[in-house]
Amino acid sequence: MDLRRTEAMMLTLHSIAHVTIEVGDLPRALEFYSGLIGAPASRVAAWPVKDETALLLPSGQFLVLKPSANPRTLPESAVHQAYRAAPAAIDRILKSLSVGAAGVHRYHEDRLAEQADNCYFADPDGNRIQLIADAARSAPGIAAIDHAIVLASDMEWIEEFYCDLLGLVVEHRVGWNTGDYIRARAWGEGKEEMAPGTRRWDERYRDIPGAKPGQGRRLARPNMQIFLHTGESILGIYLSPVHVQESPPRIAVGTPRIGFWTDRATLERAVAVLGKTRATVAGPVHHVSGSPIGSSLYFRDPCGNFIELCVKETA
Amino acid sequence: MAYVESLSHSGICVHDLKEAESFYCGVLGAAVHSRVNFKTQDALRGRSVHTSLMLSDYLFAIMLSEDWMNIPPLDQLRGENRIRHAFCVPKDKFAQILQSLRNHKVALEGPVTHPETGPFGESIYFRDPTGNFLEVVWRRDESASYNEVLPLGHGGVG
Repeated sequence: MDLRRTEAMMLTLHSIAHVTIEVGDLPRALEFYSGLIGAPASRVAAWPVKDETALLLPSGQFLVLKPSANPRTLPESAVHQAYRAAPAAIDRILKSLSVGAAGVHRYHEDRLAEQADNCYFADPDGNRIQLIADAARSAPGIAAIDHAIVLASDMEWIEEFYCDLLGLVVEHRVGWNTGDYIRARAWGEGKEEMAPGTRRWDERYRDIPGAKPGQGRRLARPNMQIFLHTGESILGIYLSPVHVQESPPRIAVGTPRIGFWTDRATLERAVAVLGKTRATVAGPVHHVSGSPIGSSLYFRDPCGNFIELCVKETA
Repeated sequence: MAYVESLSHSGICVHDLKEAESFYCGVLGAAVHSRVNFKTQDALRGRSVHTSLMLSDYLFAIMLSEDWMNIPPLDQLRGENRIRHAFCVPKDKFAQILQSLRNHKVALEGPVTHPETGPFGESIYFRDPTGNFLEVVWRRDESASYNEVLPLGHGGVG
């Protein structure tokens, strides 16, 4: 019996519930993100994880800030969080930002769905932010989490994990076709500005006899990416082109972390499914009354990313 | 005189790796053996991007071309573009392959019957999604045993 495919049919994840990022200075981060939200940030009173401060977005999702002496923001990588906002709200945010014009990047995009939304900047700690124009939104600032990005050291394994176990669906791939490699050369020649982590220089371990200029030992290549769809959200996964130190394997609850809404039956089923893998799992944890999350299941994906399944209602 | 015994494996260059995997696995019945350059360690070594597939006991790699290749017009079903891969099937599986190609709406030419005095029975000619020329053939001499090839890794006598 193929355990993964049969049991995957029982798991249904919904949209992203929260992104939890690390910040070095909580008051500074609160001021910055209040500016993005366009109003004094609404802090969640009973967020279940100690030392984390959750801000409620108009979508009902949460942006969660975790103070850290050395925030893990990975600015050289593809890791970022993308938020939906009304076009007018994006204009307001860009005018009000202290980052200035030099800090706003208009990268070319690989994913068709983002080609009109190529506006990036960083928070004061270096967490990269992307704004996605959404005419259906009316809030004065960022209204919803559109997608979040994680790194993977093994793209096959992580695709099997999210698609076969957790039921996410591949929406787009980068690095699987010749056109991606042709476009990467434009970046290598300085003709395209691409977001960090989307392209890379590969160093072959030997010269290729007869290679044309630019196609020899050092090659500009697309960095492999997959975009997975769940509910109204996208989880982007990028191959990590360098080895990144992971947290010790015994730790199941950590940051940066991405939470996904699900239902209680799926949460209980996920306990059984994940229990048959080598994933580090904690929970389900049933939270105190008043928390916006009734129960959580915390785990690590095969590449060490912290993930949480969240159920709204209490047990 | 140095000589080679048999064909060990081959590579087929493609323009879209996922599309090619779906074709060779979903239509012809191949299985993914392994993939290269899907891991950090491969990226650090600058390896080529390819997927190794098994079709019965035959190993071949579909290799992502990093340049657009010259592809003959796709309405030409039979021919070669420097190379054509012909996969052998037992005669009793030939109709099954033909039906799979038709079920997946793969344009094909054939079955073409070869002379009774030759080794080949019938062939079907078609293209993969990139446009590589392919053939499936059953052999009239399929019951004959030729040179036995030892499996790789037997270690020899030294």
